[in-house]
Amino acid sequence: MTFDPCAACEELLQPFLDREITPEERRIAEAHLGDCGYCRKRYRFEEHLRRYVRQAVDEPMPVELKERLLALRIPL
Amino acid sequence: MSEADARRIAEGARDRVRFEEEVLELADQVYRVARRLVNTREEADDLVQETYVRAFRSWRTYTPGTNLRAWLFRILTNLNIDRGRREQRGPDFAPLEEGDYFLYNRLEEDGGADDEERVVERLSQDAIVQALSSLPHNFRDAVVLVDIGDFSYQEAAQILDVPVGTVMSRLHRGRRLLKQDLAETVTEGAE
Repeated sequence: MTFDPCAACEELLQPFLDREITPEERRIAEAHLGDCGYCRKRYRFEEHLRRYVRQAVDEPMPVELKERLLALRIPL
Repeated sequence: MSEADARRIAEGARDRVRFEEEVLELADQVYRVARRLVNTREEADDLVQETYVRAFRSWRTYTPGTNLRAWLFRILTNLNIDRGRREQRGPDFAPLEEGDYFLYNRLEEDGGADDEERVVERLSQDAIVQALSSLPHNFRDAVVLVDIGDFSYQEAAQILDVPVGTVMSRLHRGRRLLKQDLAETVTEGAE
């Protein structure tokens, strides 16, 4: 099997964006991303996607619930 | 009561009040995560309230100086599992054909080249909420804790009481399933 640098870069995508990557892996990914527009595009997309998902599913806490939580404190 | 006893009681009360304040400061984060661990707003409300009841009651089991967020979210996830959802847990090995570039490739195929920011906007908010809530629970826990709760792999492992490698595999598989699901909504929409 021949080595496919884009497939290797794809494997590093998740840990890279999670900042849970070894310095060596980061170096490999960055070197490849510097040369490869195909992978760069997909990394950027993933970054946008994560932000977009967070916003899409965000729902602020109801004010009444916050009040109920305050009332749960054990009185002195 | 001796003066020393009175002082000890006063100090205990002060510690407890400080603890309660710190835990309450995390309420927005707790709700944000809880809301995505369950399917309805009512369930999220109940889960958050139960979490705070339990946290306030067991404040002495928290060791000051350790990770309060992880301690609190562990109560949350344990309560959620106790709410009778254990039997519905999905398998650890869902079939996955595609890699991480799959969704982008599909969107690009479907709608032509756009910049990455615009491409993402082709996904609807409803589709995302729906896709997240249809993930098997053990994948969903990992995805919600890391992607919505901003926990590290290590913290998520501590909260879920599983090895870090398990968190990583559930997280990666969960994200891929999510993307597969979203890709299907794009394809359906195009038909």
